[in-house]
Amino acid sequence: MNVKIKSIIATLALGAAFSALAADPIKIGLSGPFTGGSSPMGVSMRDGVKLAATEINAKGGILGRQIQLIERDDEAKNERGIQVTQELINKEKVAAGIGFINSGVSLAAQRFYQEAKIPVMNNVATATVITKQFMPPEFPDSYVFRTSAYDSIQCALIVEEVVTKRKLTKVAILADSTNYGQLGREDLEKALAKKGITAVAVEKYNIKDVDMTAQLLKSKQAGAQVVITYGIGPELAQIANGMEKLGWKVPILGSWTLSMANFIDNAGKNGEGAIMPQTFIQEGNTPKRKAFIEAYQKTYKVDRIPSPVSAAQGYDSMFLLAAAIKQAGTTDGVKVREALENLKEKMEGVVKTYDHPFTHDDHEVIKIGDVVMGMVQNGHVVHAK
Amino acid sequence: MDIFLQLAVSGIALGMIYAVIAFGYQLTFATSGTLNFGQGEALMLGALVGLSLAGNVLGGPYLNYWLMIPIVMVFGALQGMLVEWIGVRPAIKIKSEFGWIMSTIALAIIFKNAAENIWGKDDLRFPSPLSETPFQIFGANVQPMQVLVVGGALLMMLAVEIFNRKSIYGKAVVATSNDRDAAGLVGINTGMVITFSYALSSMTAAVAGVLVAPLTLTGATMGSALGLKAFAVAIIGGLTSGMGAIIGGLILGVAETFTGFYISTGYKEVPGLLLLLLVLAVKPAGLFGKTAIKKV
Repeated sequence: MNVKIKSIIATLALGAAFSALAADPIKIGLSGPFTGGSSPMGVSMRDGVKLAATEINAKGGILGRQIQLIERDDEAKNERGIQVTQELINKEKVAAGIGFINSGVSLAAQRFYQEAKIPVMNNVATATVITKQFMPPEFPDSYVFRTSAYDSIQCALIVEEVVTKRKLTKVAILADSTNYGQLGREDLEKALAKKGITAVAVEKYNIKDVDMTAQLLKSKQAGAQVVITYGIGPELAQIANGMEKLGWKVPILGSWTLSMANFIDNAGKNGEGAIMPQTFIQEGNTPKRKAFIEAYQKTYKVDRIPSPVSAAQGYDSMFLLAAAIKQAGTTDGVKVREALENLKEKMEGVVKTYDHPFTHDDHEVIKIGDVVMGMVQNGHVVHAK
Repeated sequence: MDIFLQLAVSGIALGMIYAVIAFGYQLTFATSGTLNFGQGEALMLGALVGLSLAGNVLGGPYLNYWLMIPIVMVFGALQGMLVEWIGVRPAIKIKSEFGWIMSTIALAIIFKNAAENIWGKDDLRFPSPLSETPFQIFGANVQPMQVLVVGGALLMMLAVEIFNRKSIYGKAVVATSNDRDAAGLVGINTGMVITFSYALSSMTAAVAGVLVAPLTLTGATMGSALGLKAFAVAIIGGLTSGMGAIIGGLILGVAETFTGFYISTGYKEVPGLLLLLLVLAVKPAGLFGKTAIKKV
């Protein structure tokens, strides 16, 4: 055997050793709207997930493998969501999915994860039906998990604030025409009905509408004492600005999206005092939260997180998924789902402390006690008194 | 009565926005028989350029609102000339009947994509130059900015009309729109007139953009919906009548707010579009348009 062949064999052996050290990364699909009206949520969620993945990777990853996030922008469009989800599953062969901001996109696209038996963590979308879509008994196992506060919890809290605390009974509902807005409106009407109240006005508007006069006048005419909103940032700002145009001053309450930066900025002073349920407020009241906020601010060079709730839920969802993969000891979808449904590790997150967060029949982690009310004050969201 | 007035005020303000854009469609149709389907994008670019100068999105503010308007006018005119030069002139030269449709739509998409890359896909707030506190007229709340939109739009259309009727250049425009070949024979440079009409058309759209932006939000996608509705207005009013644009705009704007209130906000766009279908069926040249006789 001559020297040349020997050196080739040595190189090959060395190469094999190296590739064993640098094991294949674990691919996780990360999708959400990173552009457009929903982007404050999408971008904050993405950055929260990335922050978590970076921390996990710095500690050696999971199962000795690094996490690799495959990011895709679904533009808050149902059809685009379906497209990127299929791409993540079939082309990128991801081990799990994380994301979904818009309820419509989630309801349209998450079935591909279900069919492929790959777990998906909905970390922002809130429509109540999302986790029910593939639940037993119709389906043997559901691969859809959620780490956000679903609509019926939020509606209960909003109604509690309006009816019980503020003693207001004449309510106007303004909801956008998307799945998010209309499913939320249904939950809201149900929550009001429990208190024996029917809304005096229920109005609808489209994304990109620039004039809310008709909707607001009808609400005003019906004698509404409060406006409850279900929509996203830019149009919520049009509602607040439209009320100013009409010189109509009643409190604005609504779903958690009233905390979006593009509502706060575009409404300016007209948005001050708006109240919404939140799972996380950018106030460092525990060491874990303080560290998270500081890390986010330092990494992304911002003072105000565009959507703190999305960032926090995104961050926690990545850690929950990582813990499940670690417990399963594999990236096999079925095993990871089983691990998520029986997660043994008690984990302190940013939103809450997770102790057996999911079971086989309950894929919701946020319970009503985990949610607080936030209020817009001087361009920031603070705890409401 | 208050409600009625309030709806009328909002409808008129909204309708005038449609009217100005529809007016832009007419300017180019009159001289060349072509339309710029990127009219909404011209409005969007005007608003974003204005915001960059008077707002803080690109490191500004560099100028105050009023000083920014002339620059936006120049920008709009240049943008219109570009559209004519790239998209319309080649089609007219080869007497293509439909080439300009595709090329102006293509340019509109390019402008939108360019704007998305420069200014992002998000909606931005345009600082209002006037107080946002409404004042009352007969019980209806009116914002100073709404008055500015209505006044500005009327003034702009009036200025263009006076220019066309009184000045020698305007007469060339009118001559070209009456009979392009005959105008050419008496020594009018009709090609130049067409370029000029495109410049004028995009200029009005760009100014309309900075007028409406403080009331709406500003962003790369703001033009598409407005441009489409204005096109409906131009068809309802008639593509050859300036008066038609104003009346058509007002009809559509007022119909939207009234339907929203008295019927349902879910159907607010329906009556305007029904009217469009009706006009197309009964009087295809539009309510105020001259019926065109096509000689074969």
